Amino acid sequence: MITAALISGLGLGSMYALLALGFHITYVVSRTVNFAQGSAMMVGAVLGYSFYITWGWPIWLAVPMTLTLCAVYGLAVERFLVRPFSSRGSEAWLMATVAAGILVDNLAMFTFGKEPRQFTSELTNTGVTLLGANISVLQMLIPVIGAAIALALLLVRRYTRLGKVLEACVQNPQAAMLMGIRVNRVVAIAFAVSAVFAAIAGMLIAPLFNVSAEMGTLFGLKAFAVAILGGISSASGVFLAGLLFGLVEALVTIYFGSAFTQIFTFGLVILALALRPNGLFGSKTMVKV
Amino acid sequence: MFKLLKPLRRRWPQAAAVTALSLLVLSPAQAAEAIKVGLVAALSGQSAKSGEALTRGLTIAIDEINAAGGILGQPVELIRRDDESNPAKGMLAARELIQREEVTVLFGGLDTPVSLAIVPLANQMKVPFMGIWAAGTGITHNGAEDNYVFRVSAMDEIVDEALVQYGIDEYNMQKPGMLLINNPWGESNEKGFRHALETRDMPYAGIERIESSDLDVIPQLTRLKNAGADTLLMVGNVGPSAQVVKSLDRMEWDVPVVSHWGPAGGRFSELAGPNASRVHFIQTYVFTEHNSAKGDQVLSALKSTYPEIETLADITPAVGIANAYDGMHLAALAIEQAGNTEGPAVRDGFYAIDEYQGLIKDYKQPFTTEQHDALGPQDYIFTHFVDGSIVPVKP
Amino acid sequence: MSKHSKTLLASGVSALGIASVIMAFMLDSYSLLVFSFFALTVVVGVGLNILIGLSGQISFGHIAFYAIGAYVSALLTMQGVSLWLALPAAGLVCAIAGGLLAIPALRVNGPYLAMITIAFALVVHHGLVEWRSLTGGANGLMGIPMPSLGDTDPAVLLALISTALMLGALVFFQLLRNSGWGRAMRAVKASEIAARSLGFNPVQTKTLAFALSALLTGMAGAVVSPLMMFINPASFPFTQSILFVLAVIVGGAGTVMGPVLGALLIVLLPEALSGAAEYRLLIFSGLLLGVLWVAPRGVLGSAARLWLKPVQQPAPVQPDLDQLSAFFAETPSSKGLEVKDISIRFGGVQAAKDVSFSAPPGSITSIIGPNGAGKTTVLNMISGFYAPNSGSIKLDTEVAGLPAWKLARAGIARTYQTTQLFGELSVLDNLLAGMQQGHLGNIVKGASDQQRALALQLLALVGYRGSVNSLADELPHVDRRLVEIARALASRPRVLLLDEPAAGLGQQDTQQLAALFHTLAGYGIAVILVEHDMTLVMAVSERILVLDAGRPIAWGSASEVRQDKRVIAAYLGGTSYQATPRDQPWKGSRDARLYIKDLVLDYGAAPVVNKVNLVVNPGELIAILGANGAGKSSILQSLAGLHPATSGSILLDDESIHHLDASQIAARGLALVPEGRQMFPQLTVRDNLMLGAFSRTDKVDADAEIEAILRRFPRLRDRIDSLAGLLSGGEQQMVAVGRGLMAKPKILLLDEPSLGLSPAMIGELYDALAALRDEGVTLLLVDQMANLALQVADRAYVLETGRIVKSGTAEELRGDSALEAAYLGEGAVA
Repeated sequence: MITAALISGLGLGSMYALLALGFHITYVVSRTVNFAQGSAMMVGAVLGYSFYITWGWPIWLAVPMTLTLCAVYGLAVERFLVRPFSSRGSEAWLMATVAAGILVDNLAMFTFGKEPRQFTSELTNTGVTLLGANISVLQMLIPVIGAAIALALLLVRRYTRLGKVLEACVQNPQAAMLMGIRVNRVVAIAFAVSAVFAAIAGMLIAPLFNVSAEMGTLFGLKAFAVAILGGISSASGVFLAGLLFGLVEALVTIYFGSAFTQIFTFGLVILALALRPNGLFGSKTMVKV
Repeated sequence: MFKLLKPLRRRWPQAAAVTALSLLVLSPAQAAEAIKVGLVAALSGQSAKSGEALTRGLTIAIDEINAAGGILGQPVELIRRDDESNPAKGMLAARELIQREEVTVLFGGLDTPVSLAIVPLANQMKVPFMGIWAAGTGITHNGAEDNYVFRVSAMDEIVDEALVQYGIDEYNMQKPGMLLINNPWGESNEKGFRHALETRDMPYAGIERIESSDLDVIPQLTRLKNAGADTLLMVGNVGPSAQVVKSLDRMEWDVPVVSHWGPAGGRFSELAGPNASRVHFIQTYVFTEHNSAKGDQVLSALKSTYPEIETLADITPAVGIANAYDGMHLAALAIEQAGNTEGPAVRDGFYAIDEYQGLIKDYKQPFTTEQHDALGPQDYIFTHFVDGSIVPVKP
Repeated sequence: MSKHSKTLLASGVSALGIASVIMAFMLDSYSLLVFSFFALTVVVGVGLNILIGLSGQISFGHIAFYAIGAYVSALLTMQGVSLWLALPAAGLVCAIAGGLLAIPALRVNGPYLAMITIAFALVVHHGLVEWRSLTGGANGLMGIPMPSLGDTDPAVLLALISTALMLGALVFFQLLRNSGWGRAMRAVKASEIAARSLGFNPVQTKTLAFALSALLTGMAGAVVSPLMMFINPASFPFTQSILFVLAVIVGGAGTVMGPVLGALLIVLLPEALSGAAEYRLLIFSGLLLGVLWVAPRGVLGSAARLWLKPVQQPAPVQPDLDQLSAFFAETPSSKGLEVKDISIRFGGVQAAKDVSFSAPPGSITSIIGPNGAGKTTVLNMISGFYAPNSGSIKLDTEVAGLPAWKLARAGIARTYQTTQLFGELSVLDNLLAGMQQGHLGNIVKGASDQQRALALQLLALVGYRGSVNSLADELPHVDRRLVEIARALASRPRVLLLDEPAAGLGQQDTQQLAALFHTLAGYGIAVILVEHDMTLVMAVSERILVLDAGRPIAWGSASEVRQDKRVIAAYLGGTSYQATPRDQPWKGSRDARLYIKDLVLDYGAAPVVNKVNLVVNPGELIAILGANGAGKSSILQSLAGLHPATSGSILLDDESIHHLDASQIAARGLALVPEGRQMFPQLTVRDNLMLGAFSRTDKVDADAEIEAILRRFPRLRDRIDSLAGLLSGGEQQMVAVGRGLMAKPKILLLDEPSLGLSPAMIGELYDALAALRDEGVTLLLVDQMANLALQVADRAYVLETGRIVKSGTAEELRGDSALEAAYLGEGAVA
C-alpha cells in the first residue's frame, strides 16, 4: 500500500509541479501569473479528449494540436487578461484571470458537456507489479515525464539561445531591452509555455482520473500552493515542492484518510510560510532603501 | 421601491441581446394566466448534468400536460434557478420564485442541504415543495405541523435499509465496509447505515471517506480489506464511484459492491472500465430496451425534444428524469384536485390524488398526511451496467 | 479630506441609511433578504477595505471569517444566548482569529500573502466539515432562531440590524481612515520604508488591520445565520472570498463608498441574472471581466480623482516663528549624534569602513564623496535600515543596530534620495503622520486643530506654497522634497538626515534650502546632509566628511576639505594615469552619426535636461562631463530608449529614433553600456557576450568574435565560463563593454564606466577605450572623472543642471578652471 501511495503521490506531485512551473515561468519574467492555471489544464484535457477520443485523431496529431491550441490560449491570456492591467501598473490581472477561469470553465461545460468522461489510454490498462503493488504503466510514467519536462526546462534555459534570452529577461529586464530583446514578447511566450505545461499535466492526469469542466479548479489551487511553497522564483524549488506536496498528501491519505488531506496540506503551507516567508527553497531578497 | 429587482430583471432580455449571447434561451412570455412551477437546482458546476436531467423530466411532463390542455385549462410554465449547490443561493432563489414569480409548486434540488434550507420557507409561505432528487430523510420528515414538503424520490434511510438487506440476501454479507463520499450526502447515509446495521446487530469493518479529488482509493480499500470487509456499501457520485472500481481492479480484490444510485449519474461504465458491472446499485427507474408503454412514450419524447439523446447511454441520470416526470404529473393532478392554485388547497390536493399511472409505478393514494414520500422500499430496483446501459440485475 | 467631499459623504451615508430603513419596512420578503445580504456584504467589503485600502494587504480568506462568525453566532443562539450578545462575541472570535492569522501573514507579501489566506480559507472550510460534533459537519446546523424585538417581523428586524451594521461600518471606516490608526496604516501601505523611519511599527498596523477587518466580517457573518436559519460549509464557498475582494477593488479600494458599489455588483447583479439559470455564472463572469477592463482601478477611485478635486488650501506664506520655536523647544536636550568607527560589508563588498564623525545639536554636517562612496549606506546605518557590523552610534545612548522605527522614536528623522512621501495621502496628512511619532492615538479621532495649525506652520517654514490638500503623488518634484523635509520635522527630531535634498532643484530653491538649514540648526537640530551640490555643501556646512570607496578620506571645514589633494583626486580623477592620445587629431566625416536637437527630459516635474544640442561624428570619441545630477546619464538613457524624451529630436544616421523603444533602438545599432554594468549575473561571461549580439541580423561567428573580445580584454580569458555575477567590478565593466561591442554598433554609449573601479583597472579600461577610438569606433562617453575622460576624448560637452554650459575640444577643456568649478562648487553662493 505504501509503495502504491508513494508512486501516486510522486505522480500527482509531479503534475502539481508541472502546473506550478507554469506559475513560476510567468512570474519570473513578469511578476504576474495566470491565476486560472487550473482552467488551462482543463482546456488541455478537454481538447486532448475531443481530438483523440471524440474525433478519433491519431495521437501524433492530437497531442501537438492540443499543445498548439493551448499555447495560443496562453498568448490570449497574456494579451487580454494580463497585459492590459500590468502595463498600467494595476493588480487587477489577478481578478481578471480568476474571472476568465470561471468563464472558461463554464464555456467548457456548455461545449464539452456536463458529465465527466473517461480518457481511455492503453497505458492505464497495462499494469506492472512493483514491490507487491499493482501499478499502471501510466502511473510509473507520470513522474518520469514530469521530471523529464522539468529537466528539459532546466536544460533549455541553461543551454539554448531561447533559454538565454529568457534568462536575460528574468535577471535584468532593462539590460535585456538594451540588447534588443523584446521583453514583452518574451513575457507572452512565457504565458504560452505556462499554458502548454498545464495542458501536458491535464492530458497526463486525465486517464487516471476523468475529464470534466471543473477538473482544474482544485488542481490549480494546489499547484499555486506548490509554487509558493517552493519559492516561486526557483524552478528546482518549485519542482521539489511539488513532489513533497504530493507525497505529504499521499501519506496523510494513508494515515488519516482523504478527508483530512486538505486540512493537513494547507495547514502545513501556512506553517511553512510562517517559518520560511520566501518558500522552502526560495532565497531572501534584499530590500534597497 | 416595492419590487427592488423587478426593473433589472425586466431589462434582462435587452442586456442579453447586448451581450450577444444568443445561445441564451429564455422561455417566451406566456399568457398571463399560465400556472408557474419553479425548479431550484444546481444547474452549473459538478452537478450540472443531474440538474439538466431534472429539467428534462419536468419539461417532458409539462409538454404532455400543455398538449392535453394544461391544468385547469391554463398552460404550465417552468421557471428555473441555479443554486450553485449553495444553500444560501438556493434559499434566495426559492424565495424569489415564490414571491416574485408566484409559482404554484416548487420543485427542488439535488443537494440535501439546499433542500433543507428551503423546507422552512415552503412551510412558512405555504407553498408545496416537491423533492425530486435529494434523499435526505429530514426533508420530508421535517417536524413541521403544517408540512408542505412532498417527495417523489428515494429516501436515504430507506435506501440504506434496502442496501444492507440486499447485501445480506445476495452476498451473505457478515461484515460490510462503508465507502462514503465526504459531503452531506455521505454523512446522511452514514447515519442510515449505522442504524440499519445496529438493528441487525451486525459488525462493520470500517467507515472510509472518499473525495472527488482522490486519484485512487487504494488506501481506503486496503484498510477495509485488512479489517475483514466482505461486502462494500458505497455512496458516492459517479466520478469517485468509478475510482473505487478502478482501484479494486488494481488491487485485484474481488468483493461485492452494493451502492446508492451515484453510478447512475453519468457514464459510469466508461469511467469505471470493464468491471463497472460489478457494482449493483439502487434505482427508482431505468429505461431499457423493453419499457412499459409509458416508458417508451417518455423515451421517444426525450429523443425528439433533445436531439443529442441518441442511445439509452445518453439518458443520464434516468432517476432524475423519472422522478421529475412523475413529480410534475402528480403536482398537476394535485392542482386539478384543488381546483385553484392556492398553496393550502394544492397541498390538500396531493392528499386527494387517488390514482396515477406513472413512469416509475402505478401510484395509488401516493400521499397522505402521514406519508409525504410517494416512493417506498418496494419501488427500488437493483441494477448494474451492462454494455454501457443500466439494466436491472433481475429482469 | 475636504469639507466639500465630507458633506457629500455624510449626505450619501445618511441618504443610504434613510432609504435602507424605509426599504426594511416596505420591501417584500425576497427583496428584503436580498437587501440584507447586500448590507452584510457591504460590511464585509468595508472590513476588507480596511485591509486592502488602508493597510495595503490582501486576503482571499475572508469567507472563513464570515463562516466563523456565522457558526459562532449560530452555536450561541441555539444555546439560547441572545443575538445581541452573539453578535459581538462572533466579532471578537474573528478578531482574535484575524490577529492570529496576521502572525504568519505579516512576514510575507504579494503572492505569498495571497496563498496564506487561501490556505486559511480551505483549512477553515474543511475544519467545519470534519469537526462534526460541534459544527454538524457537512450537513450543518439547522433551526437557528431568529431574533425578536416586540412584534417586529424578525425578517425586518434582521434587515434593520444589517442596515445598522452597514451604516456603522461605513461611518467607522470614515473615522478610522482619518484617525491616527488609519493614518498609520495608510502610511505603512504607501511606503513602509518611510513609515518605519517615522517610528511606525508595520507589524503593529498590519496586525490591527487584520483584526479589525476580521471583526467586521465576523459580525456580518453572525447575522447570516439567523437570516438563513440554516448554515453549512457549502453556504460559504471559497469563490465568495474572491468575489469579496473583487467588490472592494471594483468599487474602489480605500474609498468609503466603494464597497457599497462593489456589493451592488456582486449581490444584485447575480439576482438580476437569475433568469439566465445555468448561464448565470457564464454571463456574470463575462460582465465582471468587462467591468475590470473599463475600470481596473475601481469605479469610485477613478471617479473621485476625476470629479472630486480637493479644495485648494495653501500653507501660510510666513511661518509663525514663535510657535515653531516653541514646538522645537520641547525636544529634550541631547549631546547630539556620535558615530564611531562604523563598518558594514555586503557579501564581498566593504561598503563602509571605520566611518566616524560627530554632529552636535545645532550643527550642520555634510557627508560628501564621489558616486558609490558609501554615503547613503552610512545614512542607512544611522537610521536603522542596515545594522553596522561594528562600531557605535550614540544618541545619548547606544542606538546602533536598533530597528528603524525605534531609532525614529529616539529622535532621528530622515529624507530620501528619491522622495518617499505617502503618495495616496494629502500633504497635510503626510505631516500629521509624521507628528504621530509612531503612536497610533485614538482609533476614531482625527487630528486636533492645533496639530493642523502646526503642520501648516511647518509647511510655511520649508517654503511650501502649494495646497495642503493635494495628494502627495501629484506634487511637482521640488514640492516633494520640501514636504518630505517638513514631514521629517513634524516628528520633532533631534537629528535630521537629508539625502540629496537639493537634487533636481533650481538655484533659487537651493538657496532657500540653505537658509532653511540654518534656521533648523538654530532650533537645536543636528542637521546631517548628503549632497552633491557642492555650492550648497560648501556654503552651509560647519564640517564635512569626505568618503571615497567606503572609507573616510577627509574631515574638516569647507575650506580645509576643498584644499585636500586626496579630495580633488577623488572627485576629478587621479591625473597619474596617462592615456595614449590619438596619433593625429581626428579628421573624419562631418555627416553626423548621432544628432541631438533641443532634447528636453523630465521625470514628471522640472526638466532635468533642457534643450540640449549635441553632435557625434563617425569615428569620434565624445565625452559629456558634469557633476552628479547634471543630467548626463539621463541623456544616455533617453538615447537608448529607456526614458522617453519630452521634446526634441534624436537622429541616428539621419533616422529619427526618439519614438522607438529600447529593443528597437538596439536593433538599429545604438548600444549602451549602462551605468553599474547591468550584467546578467547568473549567466556566464560567454553568454553575456553572446546576448550582446542578439539584435544582429548578419551571421555571427561566435568563436572568432569572442576571441577578438578576449584579445582586447585578456583578463577575461580565464573567466570566460564563470558566472558574470562573480566577477570583480572591473572585469564586469570589461564584459559590459565587450557585450556592447558584440552588437557591432554604429555608436557605443558608455555610462560611467570607471565608477567604483580601482585605479589599475581604470587604466586598463581606458587603454581599451583609446584602442577602440583608434580603430574608428564611434563612442559617446559619460564619466564623472572629467580629467580621465578628457585624456581620451576628441571633444567634450560640459553639462550643468541640465544645460550645456561649455563645449570644445578636449585640449581646450583640459585644465579649464570652469570645469573644476562645475564639480567642486567654487564661488559659493549665500
